[in-house]
Amino acid sequence: MATGPVDNWLNIDTFGAIYPFVGTEMMLTIAGFAFWLIWHFKQIRKENEEFAKDIENIKKQGGPGAVLDDEARREIEDQVGQ
Amino acid sequence: MDNELTSLITIFTEFYYWVTVVFMFLIHVGFCMYEVGASRYKNHTHTLMKNTMLIPLVTITFYFFGWWIYFAFVNGPWISGPLVDAPWATPWSELMGTHMGGAPVQDTLTGDDTAFWARINGVFWAAFLLFSWTAASIVSGAVIERIRPSAFWILAIVIGSFTWIIDAAWGWSWNGWMVEDLGYHDAYASGVIHAIAGGFALGVLLVLGPRIGKFRKDGTPRNINPHNPWLVTIGLFLIYTGFWGFYVACNIPMIDVYGAAMLDVEGKSFFSATNIYLQPTTLSAITFNFLMSLSGGLMVAYMVSDGDAFWTYSGGLAGVIGASSGNDLYHPIQAMLIGGGGAFLAYKMHYWVENKFKIDDAVGAVAVHGYAGFYGVCMAGFMLWGYPSSPFEGYAPITPWGNFIGAVIMFFVLGFVPAWIVSKILNGMGMLRIPREIEMVGLDINHESLRAMEADEVAKAVREEARAGS
Repeated sequence: MATGPVDNWLNIDTFGAIYPFVGTEMMLTIAGFAFWLIWHFKQIRKENEEFAKDIENIKKQGGPGAVLDDEARREIEDQVGQ
Repeated sequence: MDNELTSLITIFTEFYYWVTVVFMFLIHVGFCMYEVGASRYKNHTHTLMKNTMLIPLVTITFYFFGWWIYFAFVNGPWISGPLVDAPWATPWSELMGTHMGGAPVQDTLTGDDTAFWARINGVFWAAFLLFSWTAASIVSGAVIERIRPSAFWILAIVIGSFTWIIDAAWGWSWNGWMVEDLGYHDAYASGVIHAIAGGFALGVLLVLGPRIGKFRKDGTPRNINPHNPWLVTIGLFLIYTGFWGFYVACNIPMIDVYGAAMLDVEGKSFFSATNIYLQPTTLSAITFNFLMSLSGGLMVAYMVSDGDAFWTYSGGLAGVIGASSGNDLYHPIQAMLIGGGGAFLAYKMHYWVENKFKIDDAVGAVAVHGYAGFYGVCMAGFMLWGYPSSPFEGYAPITPWGNFIGAVIMFFVLGFVPAWIVSKILNGMGMLRIPREIEMVGLDINHESLRAMEADEVAKAVREEARAGS
């Protein structure tokens, strides 16, 4: 069993491509493209879910104004060391 | 490689580009620090991730198609000729992997291709890739705190792996149609990186709109100051450092200029570093001019901004960018004065555009890169008027109008227009801007709520321990 074209280093001056599975470059390209595009679709879906959750949280806490008031309170607490 | 001289030149060239990549990495470290310093606390994590994740996305797409575009699009295509074959740069090429330079397996390649590209392809690809990151990262700073990360990453791929590399094929290549027909000269990328990125950022900003609170009801702008100016400062210093790699990556380190340009000068050789157009220059020349244009930019920006740290540092950058087009040939004092002009223009234009058109460019990227880059290309057209644009016979000489048309192509045609179109599409799909309520409270609300809850829990546990011990 050998995955690549190299079984010794005696004729290195004649070697070309030496990565495993020479000849599968087109398949690798298709797999690479698929990996890239799937990443975008999944990330966009994840981002939409994250934003929906954020908006829900903000609503639960009484809207953006209430969240900002709460943050201001925490900052003051941090500053006085509580 | 069967002799020491050939191997020395080949491996030196390979190592040279490899070192430029390491230096240019610092540009990205600088941009990340700069953006985090410029953004508000509530947006830090998302701001950092937005910039960081452009690295893998632009890298893989530059591998898939960006590198091929550089060689294939030199004629437009169909502006001055057809698509050009570039079998060493397709993602399925055996030369886009570990290769010892021997006979090819793929019949699209020749023995000469493999002998030449085996050791240079990866490092040359990476040097160009780091320019791609820079172009995308310039845009990243301008749009902080309100763009959706997913939208930004799509835009980053558009500029990083598509439009900038088209401009490089056209105007930053020994055989690009802009060089041949317009005499376009832009040795250290005032236009091909900075003007295009500035124009691109402007196109996105026009559709994206300002941050909430940026403008008063009467339309006058408020300053949203960097939350950490010192982080911004270190970021900009790192960008300066990375620029050394950027400059030398724009050169070919050692080549016989007569031979490379196939000039009819029998029996003569002249080995030199050259710019990307194969015109001779020296590392000494560009070192003089880099430092003098940086100095001119810093000095003018300090004066014009009344010693404002953010603008003084940015002005240094605008100084280098303003002189970069011709920094292979300028006298150092010319570089200093031209750099000073770039900083002045960037500062004045930023505030004029902000007031007049209500554009919220959070870090001044359009001004520092876009306007200074545009100016830099135009200045080189005047300063180098009549110089040959290439050592090859039959190319148009450098002229003010050739470089002006080139600057318009960089800033508007390949920068502003594609950005505006893609942003319009993303905006139409509701994918460009983050929801309003999230923008108000900050993109990191979930992270921050969790951190606050965890901090409360730890504080409570400590109090309980203290009570139990007393």
